[in-house]
Amino acid sequence: MGLIWFQIKRVFTLFRSEVLVLPSRVAVLIFVAALVLLPLFSQDPYLLRILILTSVFAIFAASWDLLSGFTGQMNFGHALFFGVAAYTSGLINVHFKIPHFFTIPIGALAAVLTGLIIGIPCLRLRHTYLALTTLAFPLILMGVVFAIPDVTGGELGVSGLDRLSGSRLRDYYITTILMLLLSFTMWKITDSKTGIILHAIREDELACRTAGINTTRYKLMAFCLSGFFAGIAGGLYAHIMRTVGPSTLEVSMSFQVIIWSIFGGVASIYGPIAGVFILFPLAEVLRVVPEWRMLIFALLVLLTLLFMPEGIIPWIRDKIEKQCPRCKIRSVAIRKTCRVCTADLD
Amino acid sequence: MKRSSILWTIFLALILVAAAGAPCWAADPIRIAIIGPMQFTQGEGHWNGATMAAEQINKGGGISVGGAKRLVELIKVDSNEFLSIPDATNAMELAISRHRADFLIGGFRTEAVLVMQDIAMDNKKIFLGCGAAHPELCDRVTKNYDRYKYWFRITPINSKFLIKVDFLLLNMVAQVMQKELGIPKIKVAIVAEKAAWADPLVAVANENLPKMGMDIVGVWRPSPVATDATAELSAIQRAGANIIFTSFSSSVGIPFAKQAGELKVPAPLVGINVEAQKDGFWAATGGQGNYGLTISTYGPVKITEHTLPFFNEYRQRFKEAPNYTAGTYDAIDVLKAAIEKTGTLEADKLIPALEQTDLKGPAGRLAFSKDHDVVWGPGYTTGLGTQWQDGKNVVVWPYQWENITYEGTVPYKLPSWVMEHYKKK
Repeated sequence: MGLIWFQIKRVFTLFRSEVLVLPSRVAVLIFVAALVLLPLFSQDPYLLRILILTSVFAIFAASWDLLSGFTGQMNFGHALFFGVAAYTSGLINVHFKIPHFFTIPIGALAAVLTGLIIGIPCLRLRHTYLALTTLAFPLILMGVVFAIPDVTGGELGVSGLDRLSGSRLRDYYITTILMLLLSFTMWKITDSKTGIILHAIREDELACRTAGINTTRYKLMAFCLSGFFAGIAGGLYAHIMRTVGPSTLEVSMSFQVIIWSIFGGVASIYGPIAGVFILFPLAEVLRVVPEWRMLIFALLVLLTLLFMPEGIIPWIRDKIEKQCPRCKIRSVAIRKTCRVCTADLD
Repeated sequence: MKRSSILWTIFLALILVAAAGAPCWAADPIRIAIIGPMQFTQGEGHWNGATMAAEQINKGGGISVGGAKRLVELIKVDSNEFLSIPDATNAMELAISRHRADFLIGGFRTEAVLVMQDIAMDNKKIFLGCGAAHPELCDRVTKNYDRYKYWFRITPINSKFLIKVDFLLLNMVAQVMQKELGIPKIKVAIVAEKAAWADPLVAVANENLPKMGMDIVGVWRPSPVATDATAELSAIQRAGANIIFTSFSSSVGIPFAKQAGELKVPAPLVGINVEAQKDGFWAATGGQGNYGLTISTYGPVKITEHTLPFFNEYRQRFKEAPNYTAGTYDAIDVLKAAIEKTGTLEADKLIPALEQTDLKGPAGRLAFSKDHDVVWGPGYTTGLGTQWQDGKNVVVWPYQWENITYEGTVPYKLPSWVMEHYKKK
């Protein structure tokens, strides 16, 4: 009994000293709690549908950040991973009647393979050339989709997929929990030694290679990891919509993910997630002014990026927290000294 | 005593007012969601057609539901389906769960309508399609009737029949050319915009034109947004084509028709050109689009007694001719008839009545096949062939086809420069 009490006290102390000390961590906690508890207050099918799709796109956006934000491999054709996984899940579900808890991981593995295939030729390219090359891949695949309509369904796509689950509420919890788990996994990857190497490749690849790091291997790994997470999102999307069509490969899908990520703040994982959770529901809210909807949306994104070029989340974070110049640990902005090393924060 | 009588009078007056108002309170309006790409001309057509129908019904007191008159309330829902499929599905969900729509009408892009159809079927809501032509939407009714029975297509006619009309128009022009110009074997240039929807059309044309006794001189696939088609037109002219068989749904229909007129290519344009269905086509081509022939749904002819009043009022009110998405007008009329017949708004009870629909609308006699698709054929909806003749968009087909010639239909005219070219020869 005493041991249990000791452990509870330990967790609480850790919680108080590591979570409650930083507003950003409290915000994340509130966000997670709100998502988990929301159905207790409302089970409106429309609201749940918006949040289900928001979670799916949040995984998609975070996966882009893992590749382009952290590693600097600017991918303008991220819809390729999404579309490949969606089509793979859809086709094997419809033709071979394989249930979705297999089709979604298989779709993600197909996206990993795609990451490997496009990663190898793209390794030689950088900056604009890489961006333009990656942009071409989903367009090529779309051409393939239209070229073999007997297999892919052509412009109609593949329809009649199994549902993700029998109810909207279960769909909500599946996508929300997966989003939280996968986002946490991506964040842990970027916070690990691998993440530091990916970061270093973005900053100075030559220096990394000089330090003996096999940057080719890490860049390829970033393509595959990003493909895997985007693939999970694609597979989920396919089973939620129950139809997979060429729209999953459209250029707009690739650009949307970039807009969400840059709006939220790149190279953070949580930035793109926040970007999706702000912008996707906002587009729905703006339905009250249908004629002005796209204009207001575009203006809002433009103004935000004009005044917050790093993205909205880093901007807010910098307002409420300060980084210690000595130990790099963050403290709440009202503090005068660092909460760890007591160095002067101003 | 005096005070109590005043109070009694007020009380009685209140009861009377309440009693008089009671039917109004009881009769909630019938909520119909019009769902379409509202920022585009197709969505505008959806909304305009529905607005006209709702206003006419409400002017007459509404729809009689089991003896009580109920007004029609339209809900405008922007599906944004050209740009985003998730947007379209969210719009459908919004219409059903937030706006509490009793019925759903609209849809355009097939990929989006397939998903929207599933959402409507999940909620057992009647969804009347007014935009997507693909057969798959109605094939689903055959494959799984219990689930998809709530879907009915009002407009356009099934794409299989659209292709049939397309070939009927081509055949009509070929016969005119053979008869008037004495060309023994017609040579056809197939020109279809580079888009997925046109691929099967090109395949069918390649297969069927030789069977129809025509030669194919080549296939050209310009970009849907091309602004210059002189290269294609010069090549077509050099290839010696007698007819240009078009499949255009996008803006390329304007420069192609305009430059064909400017270059005086000795081959008339026949087929699908969505831009040529619009009133603005004449001005957009500077009159060079003269004699272009295209498939249409509505035109200034008497298909039924409802066609001309609808066509003229629509044009007067919205300053353009109705396109086929304005079939929402017919959709509301079909619903009205079924509701008044059954006296209920319950979807399951309305379906048998909808299946037995047989009424005359502006586009023709409306009835549904077993798979809930609008019936095409002589005596039913046929579609039209419209041709620009000296600034007027006139109906030229059906003309003595299966004994059908709608009042106001005029004979097809070959372009004057085509006549001159062949007569010189």
